[in-house]
Amino acid sequence: MVERRTDNTEEKAGISRRRFALGLLIASVAGAVGSVFSVLKVLSPDKKGGGYVTTIKPGDRLIYAKGENQGGTIKASSFKAGDAVLVYPEGKTSNPANLVQLIKLDANAFKPPTDVSLTDRGFVAYSAICTHLGCIVSWVENEQSPGSSFSECFCHNSIFDPASGAKVMGGPAPIALAQIGVKVTDDGLLVFTSDFNGPIGPQV
Amino acid sequence: MIYRWLDERLEIGKFKAKFLSKTFPTNPLFFLGEITLFSFVTLVITGIFLGFLYEPSTKPVSLFGAMVPAAYASVVRIDLLPMGMIIRRIHHWSAMVMIASAIAHLVRIYFTSAYRKPREINWLVGLGLLGLSMAAALTGYLLPYSQFSVTATSIAYFTTKSVPWVGDWAARLIFAGDFPSAGIVPRFFFMHVMLVPAAIMGLVGLHMLILVKQKHTEPAGNQNREEAERGKRLIGIPIWPEQAVISTSLYLFFLFVIVIISTHIPLNPVEKYGPPSPGTPVMRPDWYFLVVYGVLKLIPGDMSFSVFGGKITPETIGGVMFPSLLFAVLALIPFIDRAKAPQHYIQNPLRRPFMTSLGIAGGVFLGMAVVSGYMDVLDLTPKDMRVYLLLASAAAWVFSYLLLRHYNRK
Repeated sequence: MVERRTDNTEEKAGISRRRFALGLLIASVAGAVGSVFSVLKVLSPDKKGGGYVTTIKPGDRLIYAKGENQGGTIKASSFKAGDAVLVYPEGKTSNPANLVQLIKLDANAFKPPTDVSLTDRGFVAYSAICTHLGCIVSWVENEQSPGSSFSECFCHNSIFDPASGAKVMGGPAPIALAQIGVKVTDDGLLVFTSDFNGPIGPQV
Repeated sequence: MIYRWLDERLEIGKFKAKFLSKTFPTNPLFFLGEITLFSFVTLVITGIFLGFLYEPSTKPVSLFGAMVPAAYASVVRIDLLPMGMIIRRIHHWSAMVMIASAIAHLVRIYFTSAYRKPREINWLVGLGLLGLSMAAALTGYLLPYSQFSVTATSIAYFTTKSVPWVGDWAARLIFAGDFPSAGIVPRFFFMHVMLVPAAIMGLVGLHMLILVKQKHTEPAGNQNREEAERGKRLIGIPIWPEQAVISTSLYLFFLFVIVIISTHIPLNPVEKYGPPSPGTPVMRPDWYFLVVYGVLKLIPGDMSFSVFGGKITPETIGGVMFPSLLFAVLALIPFIDRAKAPQHYIQNPLRRPFMTSLGIAGGVFLGMAVVSGYMDVLDLTPKDMRVYLLLASAAAWVFSYLLLRHYNRK
């Protein structure tokens, strides 16, 4: 059995063995904890522009984002008031921020804050990404009165009024869906004419 | 012979005397924690099967002529194997049952006030286990990489992002960059099969060790009340052989029920959801997330403000602050409702009007939050639902409190 030594020489030097060991322990634990931060930094990739950044440019043609016509160009003639589809700009379907809901309403149906200059012959387009938590909005069609159809996000039931600038009519979404300009070309196809007029994606 | 050989080397005789004679109560309410453990064991076993066949990658592969993420394709292939779909359903159903029995276990502990001195630590360990089980469930959601998975995980991502100050960074850490990134599937796979289960195993071990050290609370009916109060003498059956027999048959019965459910009730039909595509189906999370899901629907969209440069949004309140507050309140319970002397006897909930009525009100509140998740089906507006939720929980509290007080006066 080792006998414990009581050594007073170090006390005189102003620092005891115990305090030295304690200091060493604190320093090494601090170092270990500090190194964890640099590891976490590696594991958390830097922001690449961050969130939803659209690559839609004016002049991009609209194509069907899903359904049996997926990838096909949109023709204005196949729409009647009260119809809506999800569309992508042609050739830019891999960016989720480019998903847009194209809606055809009665040309006189628009009320503020809709930007009527961004609409054409009743066609209006909004970002399809819910401003609450990023789900994709769906079109809830009212067959009896097409004018009272609306966009709804089925995740937490946010409702947007397409005739009034997609403003929030109900549910937890904080702001309206951003509008984007569309127009019908001479050969009856649809193209984008502007950028979104507000922020898109979840506002968190 | 083998026994003697082992005993000479490992002294299992001592072990037997110390641990295998530990007494178990026979009251059925004391089996809830055990069922939670059984579910976990089942999850590990079925998880090993799934882990051998699952491919944690989003790279596009061809499946029946269509290009889909490899993770999705591998889950579809698992479903096509003999018994594959059944095993995947057993895995998912066991997760549902695990959290259900864990919560039932918590409720039992709460109402019998078994969390009081000296069992506060194990109450906290149990809460940690509940949180980890939910983390395991959440990371598991993503793995099939179906439309449902991606939508559910994106909600979790944006909820994490809504945490003030650190949310942005934390979301990129957990979800491997801005959602959806290719790195998310391997990261969630690792968390789901390694990190979280290892943490669960560690805490389960601690939970058991503390239990063995402190022993169960004694159900009412121990004749030798004095000794039970001191935690000295317990009435029950020893682990070996009686409890082992009961546990084994309980586990086999549990497996029987889970297999029957899994064979007949579909769950997470990955093929029906399809691979990720634009559009969000009407979907609800698994039952244990319905509370948060309902609360997210109730918070008004314009309820956002800034504190010290951090932005508090409705998602912060409903998705982050509310669940944290819930866990914080649960964690504080044993330190608010304290016992002066160590307590080894379970309490009659009818004799504790305040805590019991509080528990009932809390239950009603959470139940109403779940109902809020079904507002669209019930044709209720958030405005009405908020009123109903508050009224119902307040009424439940006052009514049950008065009733219990009246009962105790008699």
